[in-house]
Amino acid sequence: MKFSIQKDRFAQSVQDVLKAISSRTTIPILTGIKIDATEEGIKLTGSDSDISIESFIPQEEEGKVLVDIQQTGSIVLNARFFNEIVKKLPSEKAEIEVISSFQTVIRSGQAEFSLNGLDPDEYPHLPQIEEGEVFKLPTDLLKALIRQTVFAVSASETRPILTGVNWKIEEGQLVCIATDSHRLAWRKAAVETDFNAEYNVVIPGKSLNELSKILDDSQEPVEIVITDNQVLFRAKHLLFYSRLLEGNYPDTSRLIPTDSKTKLELNTKEFLQAIDRASLLAREGRNNVVKLSMIDENLIEISSNSPEIGKVTEQVRSREIEGEEIKISFSAKYMMDALKVLEGTEINIQFTGAMRPFVIRPENDDSILQLILPVRTY
Amino acid sequence: MESFYPKNGRVVLHVDMNSFYASVEIAHNPSLRGRPLAIAGKPEERKGIIVTCSYEARTFGVKTTMTVWEAKKLCPNLIILPPNFERYRGASREIFHILRRYTPLVEPVSIDEGYLDITSSYALGTPLAISELIQQELLERLMLPCSIGIAPNKFLAKMASNMKKPLGITVLRKREVPAVLWPLPAVAMHGVGEKTADKLAGLGIMTIGDLAQASDHVLKNRLGVRGIQLKERANGIDRRKVDPEAANDFKSVGQSITLPKDETKQQELLRVLLQLSERVAVRLQRKKVLGESLSVMIRYKDWKTITRSKKLSGPIEKAEDIFAEAKQLFLKNWSGNGIRLLGVTLSDLTEKEQADVQLDLFSYEQEANKASLAEALDKLDKKYGEGVIQPASKKKPAGKEAAPDMDGKKSE
Repeated sequence: MKFSIQKDRFAQSVQDVLKAISSRTTIPILTGIKIDATEEGIKLTGSDSDISIESFIPQEEEGKVLVDIQQTGSIVLNARFFNEIVKKLPSEKAEIEVISSFQTVIRSGQAEFSLNGLDPDEYPHLPQIEEGEVFKLPTDLLKALIRQTVFAVSASETRPILTGVNWKIEEGQLVCIATDSHRLAWRKAAVETDFNAEYNVVIPGKSLNELSKILDDSQEPVEIVITDNQVLFRAKHLLFYSRLLEGNYPDTSRLIPTDSKTKLELNTKEFLQAIDRASLLAREGRNNVVKLSMIDENLIEISSNSPEIGKVTEQVRSREIEGEEIKISFSAKYMMDALKVLEGTEINIQFTGAMRPFVIRPENDDSILQLILPVRTY
Repeated sequence: MESFYPKNGRVVLHVDMNSFYASVEIAHNPSLRGRPLAIAGKPEERKGIIVTCSYEARTFGVKTTMTVWEAKKLCPNLIILPPNFERYRGASREIFHILRRYTPLVEPVSIDEGYLDITSSYALGTPLAISELIQQELLERLMLPCSIGIAPNKFLAKMASNMKKPLGITVLRKREVPAVLWPLPAVAMHGVGEKTADKLAGLGIMTIGDLAQASDHVLKNRLGVRGIQLKERANGIDRRKVDPEAANDFKSVGQSITLPKDETKQQELLRVLLQLSERVAVRLQRKKVLGESLSVMIRYKDWKTITRSKKLSGPIEKAEDIFAEAKQLFLKNWSGNGIRLLGVTLSDLTEKEQADVQLDLFSYEQEANKASLAEALDKLDKKYGEGVIQPASKKKPAGKEAAPDMDGKKSE
């Protein structure tokens, strides 16, 4: 194998596949990056067996030559060192050559590295995904879906299924749900598809986080293929495979209240800032709890009390308060997480009681909701 | 008066009520005065255990932890009463109310003893005069006798109050420590139990004087930092302050039950555990606290006692939660041998106001229902008295109920 390649483009691809590589893997070869040189270009692969990422650099793009392949072939190189080396190469071009028994030379400018590689034939095969039913989402929408839900997955392994985001596809609609059982994020979007298939899968939160980091902010469509135990995201020159979580995701639809006893309309930014201020003192406590109560028909009060430190109260104007008076306590962190991902300048909150979940939605937008369970204070 | 007080240093009193439960019963029913009296769990059970007895009973040789049957043999006329903890708690409240009028620095240690720092109370008289006033007032107003120790620190005050009972007042100065304390056996020292005494004996330390002169190195090796602390105490040094707040962050809430016979039946033991869990829950709720650590104490028929603890994932207060944890811990550690006494204790307590519970999406509905049930029970209890409604499992044929041990006192 021998090729020379444009360094910046190469370094970017190495960075991308590195997202899948874990230093704590039990399979030693997975600490490496696999490089395949073919007539078409260079393919880089990284995997931790849960996530696998393949990045492709074509020989030529928009009339510009990116890679000059002198000899095809494959090699696996230690990812951590290789990444550092490529990033710091002195010239705009890099030349990679496997000289003998996996020993690989990397040349750039006057620098020359020699790295001991591993046998590429030992590298596991990536999951084979049949070109079956494909559906498409614009990249920016996919990233928004991830951002608006993945933060709510559970960080604890006590219920492994909750560490993933539930994706349900029905009649051209994708519904994403994440919950750690204390709050829940729900987002709906239309998908482009030629098929009528229905899916109900759970994608690990970690996979979605990594995917979101690699994708750029374009409107180019990302193709998505779902199988029994894998999901594949295909963007330009990029393949992202993730294992799916096994097990049934709990049915949350009946847990989301549909009625409302009290409804508030608030300015998102004002409310977020008030919660942020109230949590300055609450943060020290166990649950970072703030209290919300009503003062009159268009004024609410946010307060927090940490006996050792002090207390804070702040009044926030509500455009409208409908229904019964309520006093409720909740985690300031959950509220801020939810408000930060809601787009729109105005939100409404619907309560059904101090001991029941409440729902936050942007005004005039039913494609997203955030649900939070209150904190019971004695 | 100030001349009777040290220029640097403190004056600490230890007030210790004399045979408290028995005294409260006598105060309540003066016809019992002068007669041998003992408080025992379920007097009709021959194997019930004596919790406290009056001085008259003690002259017959009756002692705490004896069975009713043994005590009756020594003193056939012994009057035995069941404990009435509500009454004792009430008396305790009145005692501390009186003590707080002499100084705000009152630290309750248990239901019937407390420390007072009277360093700044010189306007009321000399330390001895104040002690006499306290003793008289408690006797005249509540008809309750006490012994008082006067010393420069808590340890010496505690040792002093123990020297003359009943109705003693003892001054113990630091310079008197070698003459007064050193000849006593190490086990007589407050803070040295039988186990520690055994360890000390292994080091050739038999008396408090031996301990006072023991090598730091040896003590530290055998007993850790506590060894050094004990040596300091033996030399009359104790830097602990009288802390009125100490009782507010009560370290634990626990209950134990001495069983009417050595019990080996798992079903019966679990029933007792449930009963204990319910009592602990009631006391937690009364004190408005939740606990985050749970321990189970098992005393076998040979008096071998084990205590096993567990840190919980969150604070709990409900009987069913306490029972679930206690059951698990008990079954894991029970050897299968006959059991004499069982105890359940919750520690690592937080006040309810600060113990918030994050509700869970998948269980909030049950939580909400349980919360309203607990509130309803609370109201009924307030209206009709405690325990008017109980889980059916608590209903047992009369006479089989086991007796609670010393409520409010920590067993060591």
